[in-house]
Amino acid sequence: MALALQEQLNQLESARQIVLKDPPLYPQIVSGILPIIGAHARLELQRWGAEFLAETFSSPVFAPKQKEESAVGVLGTLKDLLDMPKEDAAVVKSVVQTAASIYELVFHYIVANPHDVPVWNQMASIKSSILKRWDTGPAGVRICCIKFVQKIIQVQTPGVIPDPRRPEHNEISLAIVPRDHPMIPPSKLEPEASGLLDRLLNVFQEDHSDALFITATLNCLGTLLRTRQSITNKIMSVILNFNPLKQANSPMNQKAKVHIKAMDRTTRSLLMNMLRRNENGPFASRIKAHVARFDHQRPEIYEESSRKRGHAAEPTDGLDNAKRRRLGAEIPNRELSTIPPLPPGPASLKQIFTLTTDQDLANFDVMSLPPQLMVNITLPVLARVDHQALIEAVNHVRARFMSLTNPSTNSPQIGALGDDEEDYEPDFEPSEDREQIINKADALPPEDSLETPTEVALGPFKLPQPPPMTAEETHNIGKSVVAKVFDKMDRLEDTSVSRRQKPGLNRLAGSNYDKEAWVTVITRLATRTSAGSDEGADGEEDSKAVARKGSFEYSLSGMIRERLAQHIREDFRSRINIAIAWLNEEWYNDQIQKQATGNVQEGKGGLQPKQHYERWMLRVLDGIIPYLDAKDKLLIRFLSEVPEVNEKVLERVKGLARDPERVQLAVNTLLYLIMMKPPARDIAIDAVEDLWRNYDDAKAPAAKVLAKWRPQVLPPPTKPSTPLNINGVKSEEVKSPPPSTLAHTTSVGGEQMEHKQGGFPVAAAG
Amino acid sequence: MAADPRLARAMDPRRTATPPQPPPPPPPAQSEQKPVGGYDGVEDVNLDSETRREREDFKLKFCTVCASNNNRSMEAHLRLSLASYPVLSFGTGSLVRLPGPSITQPNVYSFNNTSYESMRQELLAKDPRLYRANGILPMLERNSSVKWGPERWQDWPVGMPRLSEYQQGKGSKGAEGGVVDVVITCEERCWDAVVDNLIERGSPLNRPVHVINVDIKDNHEEALVGGKAILDLADSLNEAANEERVDTEGNMSFDERVPDIIADWQERWPHLPALWTLAWF
Repeated sequence: MALALQEQLNQLESARQIVLKDPPLYPQIVSGILPIIGAHARLELQRWGAEFLAETFSSPVFAPKQKEESAVGVLGTLKDLLDMPKEDAAVVKSVVQTAASIYELVFHYIVANPHDVPVWNQMASIKSSILKRWDTGPAGVRICCIKFVQKIIQVQTPGVIPDPRRPEHNEISLAIVPRDHPMIPPSKLEPEASGLLDRLLNVFQEDHSDALFITATLNCLGTLLRTRQSITNKIMSVILNFNPLKQANSPMNQKAKVHIKAMDRTTRSLLMNMLRRNENGPFASRIKAHVARFDHQRPEIYEESSRKRGHAAEPTDGLDNAKRRRLGAEIPNRELSTIPPLPPGPASLKQIFTLTTDQDLANFDVMSLPPQLMVNITLPVLARVDHQALIEAVNHVRARFMSLTNPSTNSPQIGALGDDEEDYEPDFEPSEDREQIINKADALPPEDSLETPTEVALGPFKLPQPPPMTAEETHNIGKSVVAKVFDKMDRLEDTSVSRRQKPGLNRLAGSNYDKEAWVTVITRLATRTSAGSDEGADGEEDSKAVARKGSFEYSLSGMIRERLAQHIREDFRSRINIAIAWLNEEWYNDQIQKQATGNVQEGKGGLQPKQHYERWMLRVLDGIIPYLDAKDKLLIRFLSEVPEVNEKVLERVKGLARDPERVQLAVNTLLYLIMMKPPARDIAIDAVEDLWRNYDDAKAPAAKVLAKWRPQVLPPPTKPSTPLNINGVKSEEVKSPPPSTLAHTTSVGGEQMEHKQGGFPVAAAG
Repeated sequence: MAADPRLARAMDPRRTATPPQPPPPPPPAQSEQKPVGGYDGVEDVNLDSETRREREDFKLKFCTVCASNNNRSMEAHLRLSLASYPVLSFGTGSLVRLPGPSITQPNVYSFNNTSYESMRQELLAKDPRLYRANGILPMLERNSSVKWGPERWQDWPVGMPRLSEYQQGKGSKGAEGGVVDVVITCEERCWDAVVDNLIERGSPLNRPVHVINVDIKDNHEEALVGGKAILDLADSLNEAANEERVDTEGNMSFDERVPDIIADWQERWPHLPALWTLAWF
């Protein structure tokens, strides 16, 4: 009999081998095997058969269409196996697994064949038979029931239909059931699934939860969370309220630890999986908080076990060189004396006073104990301390001090260590990749190398202070910094005209990181950063000022100004805006400084703030004047937009008249100033008069101007000016500035208005 | 090459300057008939394996997993297969990484299509002295006697019949169905990867699987110890599974006892922290 059974099993096994090799034969083999493994067969055959069915209907190589047909055919056998009076856990387990796999197949079949009542009835009775076992069966069966229920919920909850035109691609779910299906109306199935889900999630709320059921449930919820949107909220809120560490109380035995760790880590895995799938999902922040909370609590709970692991790792760890060397060095010490000698090299105070060989004790941080407790411990200990031992210990510490002050005693030890180093050969750690090694390095306690007394102590390393820089170096570095800033500005493109808006008074300088903003930044760096700090250069008493006087040309703002002037000279036509902006800043700053020192030093006299505007104004003017041609409007614009024009400036303008080509330019410029810049009118008329008197080429045009503005100086033969002429602003030879120039003036002025609210004149004459 | 490294290790594992090399592949004659105990000079675990094998027909199917499917998982694979368990093995890393001349220069191979033998040939050509001294060559020799090449867990089509010649090797008998009962990982990182991957797969097969981590340091020595511990665990689990089959009342449910078996096992192997979950294929 036994032989025959073995033979039968062997035959079945070879049939299985055949279908594994040749999956299209599955339907045939399955129907052939069913009679052999039915309810009346021997237990061994039933077990084999049930297992075979579980394997078959989970197999990815069994074509779905054929699988569905076979599934319908296998229902009767499954039902019989479940209904056996003396049931076997292994058989039932396999049957439930099979049922979980075929439920969706039968469901799909019923959707297509709405009138095959017997099939659905069979499935329904298998379902109720399995659900009965959910609470009462052996644990192995119950976990399979959990999976079966998960499958029912998955099938009886609407899923997503990716493409309604291609039904064959649809996942099997409630979504593919017609609303008026006679046997499985969705209105009935969905509440059933919802009820089963509640029962499934109950496991998280039971007081005494078993890790087996918890993890089995958690590990199959992933699919539901991912593919069944309508129940995600319910599941997530239950999981997020589940506290796997709740049952953890301090004296845990090994079994409790395995259970709690299993629930804890499985929950974490599921949550992390959800988080990764949907980083910005509605639960992302709650998941993060949840995981962070448990990551925080976890070490406390596993503290004991992790500590145990740490100790155990030491002797078995053949590869951690630092530890091994330390261990190796410790053994002879113990034999020689209870108090180890100091390690060679520099020693910390802590090391000098550490007399114990016990690593843990040596590394114990007394500061972690509350002071009151320390007092309670220390007092009795002091009262009972062995006098001899105390003296001995003090002597040891003293001897250590001596040996440190007399370093020759240490040299033999250093030699010995050197030998040790030579013997040392690096060990290879096969298949440990770099990442792992880095992880391991991270895991090492950071104070390990610093506080271990028997190790060579390196002590904290501090970079020495760099030597102070000489003035020259400072200058060079400053120069390169300035060059860099200018370089940056050069590379930025001009904001295109179309994009540039004209916010007028609301404009905020340097706010949009374009070229213009950089110009503002640079000009203000030049004028404002060191304002007031290098003003003392003109004074004499202050010793600091005197010291700085020699290196005045090194001042940062001086350098920037120099660079700015050069920058403008290089291409003054396109950079005239920069010049104007800069000189306005300079002038403004001068006024501020003047006012500030005026307020502070009223009555004291003495220190006068250094005035930059005039100096740099002339520098810029000198830079551009030689290159102006006769019809250039640039000069007119420049002089009209800078805040202040004085005699020295007009000197330069008059200089133009020496060149017969540019006489007209000089006169026109002056005329413009006379008309448009009232504060400079008087000096400008003086300049014209000077031209008329001293420059032969300028006589005629200057006379015209004077005829209008100062006719009394002209000789009587000239016709007196007519009222018409006085009123006629526009004369043939003087053109009014083009509208664009005027527009620009207002826009530049817009910014300045804010600064000039302190009661300064908008445009002051010299 | 010195004497059998395990003998040296038995004397004192910590005294040896370099880690012992992994075992050479066992002679072919040994694997079928002779008792496997004594193969490495450690008799204890396998002493009664002969009698045990006769008594128990049912064998749990195992799967061992480490990062590169080379050292720890292969050592355990060999051990379990010698105890005639059906066993598969995988790596969870993105690539097979073997130590190179320095930490920053590992030898890197791709999973699933590189054989142990071709790696061995390549390293033999590169620097035979180095790779023999650090135990890589002997390890690859051993591996190529166990199966064709390293396989990646994430690429494993669970439930796909494993009948191709590349999938044959020690322990492949009994695991033709492409499904196992127990997965044993050798590092928490791998356990995380496996559990996460199973969630990701969506458990379409409805087959329960116990995923157990046994934390083993990645070196030859620890792999040997870990392999022994894993065999011990496998034996305990298999015993429980057989008890379930004998006791048809269902009072001795195997799955229920797994965590307790792990806890007992942990008492015996306190240095190899364990972690467990019940997942689904």
